[in-house]
Amino acid sequence: MADEALFLLLHNEMVTGVYKSADQGEVENGRCITKLENMGFRVGQGLIERFTKDTARFKDELDIMKFICKDFWTTVFKKQIDNLRTNHQGIYVLQDNKFRLLTQMSAGKQYLDHAPKYLAFTCGLIRGGLSNLGIKSIVTAEVSAMPACKFQVMIQKM
Amino acid sequence: MAVCIAVIAKENYPLYIRSIPAEHELKFHYTVHTSLDVVDEKVSAMGKALVDQRELYLGLLYPTEDYKVYGYVTNSKVKFVMVVDSSNTALRDNEIRSMFRKLHNSYTDVMCNPFYNPGDRIHSRAFDNMVTSMMVQVC
Amino acid sequence: MEPPEEPLRPVIYTMENKPIVTCAGDQTLFASVYPTLSQQLPREPMEWRRSYGRAPKMIHLESNFVQFKEELLPKEGNKALLTFPFLHIYWTECCDTEVYKATLKDDITKWQNVLKAHSSVDWLIVVVESDAKKKNKTNILPRTSIVDKIRNDFCNKQSDRCVVLCDPLKDSSRTQESWNAFLTKLRTLLLMSFTKNLGKFEDDMRTLREKRTEPGWSFCDYFMVQEELAFVFEMLQQFEDALVQYDELDALFSQYVVNFGAGDGANWLTFFCQSVKSWNGLILRKPIDMEKRELIQSQEATLLDLRSYLFSRQCTLLIFLQRPWEVSQRALELLHNCVQELKLLEVSVPPGALDCWVFLSCLEVLQRIEGCCDRAQIDSNISHTVGLWSYATEKLKSLGYLCGLVSENGPNSEDLNRTVDLLAGLGAERPETAKTAQSPYKKLKEALSSVEAFEKHYLDLSHATIEMYTSIGRIRSAKLVGKDLAEFYMRKKSPQKAEVYLQNALKNYVAEGWALPITHTRKQLAECQKHLGQIENYLQTSSLLASDSHLTEDERKHFCQEILNFANQQKESPGLKVILSMHSFAQLKHLHFDPSNALVHVGGTLSIEITLLSQMPVSVQVEQIAISVHFSIEKNSYRKTAEWLTKHKTSNGIISFPNENSSVPFSRSNSPALELYEMYERSPSDNSLNTTGIICKNVHMLLRRQESSSSLEIPSGVTLEDGAHILKCSNVTLDPGVNKIIFKTQAKEPGTYTLRQMCTSVGQVQFVLPHIYPIVQYDVYSQDPQLKVEPLTDSLLAGIPQKVKFTVTTGYYTIKNGDSLQLSNADAMLILFHAENRAIIYSNTREKSSEASLMIQSSEKVTSVSLPMAPAYHMIEFELEVLSLPSAPTTSGESDKLGNKDPHRKNKEKQKAGNCMVTLDQKVSIDCPWSIYSTIIALTFNIPFKATHSLLSAGKRKYIQVCVQNLSELGFQLSDSNLIDTGNSPELQLVPLNAKCQQHIYSKQSVFFVWELMWTKELPPSMHCHFSLDFYPASEDRSISLKPYSYEFQVENFFTLYNVKAEIFPPLGTEYCKTGSLCSLEVSITRLSDLLEVDKDEALTESDDYCTTKLMYEVVDNSSNWAVCGKSSGVISMPVTARATHKVHMEVMPLFAGYLPFPDVRLFKYLPHHSAHSTQLDADSWIENDNLSVDKNMDDQTDNSSLKSKSSSHSAASMEHKGLPMPRLQPFPSGQVFNSSTGMQILVIPSKDDHILEVSVT
Repeated sequence: MADEALFLLLHNEMVTGVYKSADQGEVENGRCITKLENMGFRVGQGLIERFTKDTARFKDELDIMKFICKDFWTTVFKKQIDNLRTNHQGIYVLQDNKFRLLTQMSAGKQYLDHAPKYLAFTCGLIRGGLSNLGIKSIVTAEVSAMPACKFQVMIQKM
Repeated sequence: MAVCIAVIAKENYPLYIRSIPAEHELKFHYTVHTSLDVVDEKVSAMGKALVDQRELYLGLLYPTEDYKVYGYVTNSKVKFVMVVDSSNTALRDNEIRSMFRKLHNSYTDVMCNPFYNPGDRIHSRAFDNMVTSMMVQVC
Repeated sequence: MEPPEEPLRPVIYTMENKPIVTCAGDQTLFASVYPTLSQQLPREPMEWRRSYGRAPKMIHLESNFVQFKEELLPKEGNKALLTFPFLHIYWTECCDTEVYKATLKDDITKWQNVLKAHSSVDWLIVVVESDAKKKNKTNILPRTSIVDKIRNDFCNKQSDRCVVLCDPLKDSSRTQESWNAFLTKLRTLLLMSFTKNLGKFEDDMRTLREKRTEPGWSFCDYFMVQEELAFVFEMLQQFEDALVQYDELDALFSQYVVNFGAGDGANWLTFFCQSVKSWNGLILRKPIDMEKRELIQSQEATLLDLRSYLFSRQCTLLIFLQRPWEVSQRALELLHNCVQELKLLEVSVPPGALDCWVFLSCLEVLQRIEGCCDRAQIDSNISHTVGLWSYATEKLKSLGYLCGLVSENGPNSEDLNRTVDLLAGLGAERPETAKTAQSPYKKLKEALSSVEAFEKHYLDLSHATIEMYTSIGRIRSAKLVGKDLAEFYMRKKSPQKAEVYLQNALKNYVAEGWALPITHTRKQLAECQKHLGQIENYLQTSSLLASDSHLTEDERKHFCQEILNFANQQKESPGLKVILSMHSFAQLKHLHFDPSNALVHVGGTLSIEITLLSQMPVSVQVEQIAISVHFSIEKNSYRKTAEWLTKHKTSNGIISFPNENSSVPFSRSNSPALELYEMYERSPSDNSLNTTGIICKNVHMLLRRQESSSSLEIPSGVTLEDGAHILKCSNVTLDPGVNKIIFKTQAKEPGTYTLRQMCTSVGQVQFVLPHIYPIVQYDVYSQDPQLKVEPLTDSLLAGIPQKVKFTVTTGYYTIKNGDSLQLSNADAMLILFHAENRAIIYSNTREKSSEASLMIQSSEKVTSVSLPMAPAYHMIEFELEVLSLPSAPTTSGESDKLGNKDPHRKNKEKQKAGNCMVTLDQKVSIDCPWSIYSTIIALTFNIPFKATHSLLSAGKRKYIQVCVQNLSELGFQLSDSNLIDTGNSPELQLVPLNAKCQQHIYSKQSVFFVWELMWTKELPPSMHCHFSLDFYPASEDRSISLKPYSYEFQVENFFTLYNVKAEIFPPLGTEYCKTGSLCSLEVSITRLSDLLEVDKDEALTESDDYCTTKLMYEVVDNSSNWAVCGKSSGVISMPVTARATHKVHMEVMPLFAGYLPFPDVRLFKYLPHHSAHSTQLDADSWIENDNLSVDKNMDDQTDNSSLKSKSSSHSAASMEHKGLPMPRLQPFPSGQVFNSSTGMQILVIPSKDDHILEVSVT
């Protein structure tokens, strides 16, 4: 990410853009979310290709998740994931206590109802990154008090 | 130097494969395809190794009478395979390695090209030229 | 006597070699200690510190003790290292000085001189002492003396060169010590010598290597030298170091070859360029292959010889080092490398020779390895050996082809000659393998001996290789070998064996999407299947190949022709139909419906245009293309209706099909897409958001493991299901590339039709698309004719012409000439029509089809609209103007009734919906030509105006005011306002006080009209009025004459009975009223008329002809300007005679300064209590009236006091409703009381001391 601010602003515009375009046309729940998520997916694929260009080969799944939480997150959001938990059955929960894309909005519950649209892209980002590392997954998100949020990664065993 | 360069997707189908001279194309396809066996073998072996040994370059996959086949696997499980004429003894491991690096960089650019969507065959001219440069160099 | 007398030949029995140590002096003595010495020496290891910073090693020393001879000492420049004596020992047990002086000294000196002469400094003198000897000696010297002497004489400054060994043959502790001391010394000296001499040797060797650029230099010589070193290391069991020597030689040689390739050849290299004459593989069974070594020494070795020898040595050492797997790996490299080097050096090699050499070598290596490790080890290291196996297989194969052993009719003469030559090159089998049955040599000889033998060996090898590859998971490699095998079988004309291998390989390539291998293998498979006569498979494969862009045009044409030939040749003799899958023959790209929404009415025609991408290289004549259609009755009838049609706008009716591009097998989309949704979780208590997020609805779908798609194989068992409905299209020519084919169908039963499969028949061959996906459907609907009538504007206004739109949906009915709509005229609604009424006819898909003018005739009962002719499933639209009369005209007969009702209705309206327009519904029954029943259409009109009236009085004079309010959105022109008394009594007269000219009334505004009411005789208690007003929309000019707006109402007892007059007088002596000072209020109530009908109520009391009535007055001041002191109300009895006056006085106090309006004086009828019943009755009645009057009040003066009174009286009423009898108050109808002092004001001036007043009041 060239400049953080730039990314953040761009992201906001993207979200509003997508939702506007939806207002014209049909808007069933999830359409925009999916659209944003797909954008993120593609971006994630590209990013991971760059970021992992010079890293050593990954040992295993966990190794990869760590990479996502540390290097990947840092390069994108200028901070690490604060806490990574897993059940060792392919479910990982990444907790970010001060998620960049929510920080500008508010703390606490105000705008809570808008939070999802600002998480979709990142969900895609993670999924795209993982898929490019050969891990099929489903990424969902959850916020109860902004700007903290949780991303849940469900790995698809293949 | 290289007589055949191939980029192979996660799922083992070729994203890009180019060889000279043209008439040996088929043979090269077979060679590259078989080399995947060794790639898999090496990668799985590599998983256990220590970090510093876990480099992306796999080294010589297998020699044949007339060719040497080298391999390289990106973290995104994309495989690069390079076939070199055995008579071409000038090539040292390090040169091969650096060629692979070049290949990887170029591939990364392809991935970040908006007109490319991941998993498709590579048609990027830039990439093509880069490969050509590696094939003509020397010999 | 151990040590051999005769000089040693420089022969190497490697392992039994030991470093040489010479012994001079007392041989018998030496002989006696030798056994102990030779077995004690190696017992303890010794650390060897080495030159060139090589790591120190612990090493067990052994040595070979030989008698000292001068010849043993190396001459200058002798490079032999194995025969080099590393240490010279002189033995003596002399203990007698005489003897020493006499003989020993000289002897030693001689010995020393010899050594000096050969400049060898590694020597040691051992003095053995034994007590036994001393016994029989007379002049005994101290033991040490001899040793000291020797030390003095010989070992100047290096005293350690002389050691003492005591009683070597006893076993006493002393003996032990001296032995140990001696051995240690010996070892140290040996090592010192090694270090020194080897170091020296290496230096020489290096200098020799540096000379390699000089012309005379020979690799072979150098080879021998360095190998010498290797031998020594091997001798010292330093195999690593030994190996290093060979590897260096190897590298050096390779470098030369490379350089030679690069152009600068060393002339010695030309030796190795002799053409190859023998190719009897590697020999690894003995540690050293002397023959080859000698060849090298004598510089006659060929490249293969050198390489073989070098490798055999490396192999030996590696096996000593227990690294067999490195052997196999190096072997492979070596073999490849040799082949290359021979190419590079342009060595002439008879065809097949190399193959033999490689084949033999592979097997030799494998057998050597098998020789030195057990099965388990081998099995777990297949990955190292399998390379050699497949290489061997490969070579044997090519030998087979070379020697014509693969053709089905054996080798020909020249093949045989070639074979003979090859075998000749092998020479005789080596003694060391002669015994072993399965020796490579034997194998090869046998394999080349006959076709059968070859087949056997080749198959064995292939199968072994395949098995190994498979066992270590190198499937692809296994497949490749399999393919070679298949080729072999094909050559042997046994396709049935070949097929399975081809199929497997193909499956693998297809699964991984490798286009070229696929094509190639398919071609082979095709041939195979052709031989096997598997018509269907062959044709299928052919079709795939014919469509394969990787083949040349001609090849494709060929395969295409194969299919066509079959198809036609079958025609003559109609046999089985062959069904093939379509996707290789042609691909369905698009499908286009017309009408585009894929929806037709019964009987309508639907055309489907499909775009077929023909994969064939040539145009193909197709008998028929058929699409089988599945019909299902549509369950939800809605889909069949016309509305659905309009809403259901499919994407321009074009359906595109994904092209199943077999080259990319993993279209990443084969797993379902995520279904993500926003998630809002509210807390159960107060449903405030407590979590939001994104959830995935179809996790279960996605997390299912999906097996890698093998869907891309040729869909087997494509069957043609014959559906009842089939769309056909015959005799089509499919040109290569895009073709458009149009199917037309006539819609029959209503329902949904789904396109299932497509089948193209060429002769007896049918190409079937087993299912068409994405699902393609079209719908057929039937529709009843219907009429729709709707206003153009959102609300219709009564009284003015309004446009109404008629829509006739013809449905299945066809409108014939003369069909018409019969509208039964509603009396209150007229249908106006002009000449230029036009109807527009649309098709059901809302394309305008035609336009026609409308014939409208109207009799007094019906209006008939003759419809233009229109086909079924069309729409006719036209507009009519209708005019609804503002309010129903009234026949003067039942005027009263109506009159009474009239205001009431208005009131209800009012209460109901504030001032929204009054609506009236107009029903029209229409007879449609398609139905015997007539349709009733209800239109709702809004009356644009609302009128209200009020009665105004000035003393006795009376006025009637009518207020007309415009509720509509438009403005109107008003004119000819007119008010008449419908009861037209002559003595009554209404004098208009209105402007004659017409007026404009804007939207949402009101206009007032006033009439004065004059009369001559007595007034009737009530009077009935009719108000009428002409109007027309301000926008248009009054073309059509409209009915005026009319409003009827009635006014009752409007004659003024009483006049109330209030007067306020300042306190006596003051000119003005002052705030806070009491003033007197005089209320005078005057009766204006004599007894009238209206007075006849229970308030009236008659005594003879003098009657009075009870009134109640009340002084209220809502503006609270006044404080009324004392009683503000009272009941008076009023004589009912004209001009009777009653005055009331009371005190009021102004609270503010300024012009204060008078307090309000009210007058009520005071009705004493009679019977509950009657009151009840009256109560109702007057409540009614009161209501009414209240309304009037509100309209008239905006003083809500009346409301107050009402509510109070209400409460009164309600109280007595509860039963307890009490008098009631009844307000007068507004007309009956005239308050002549309403609106009067009086000046009040502020008093000096306001504040005091404040107190006094509150």
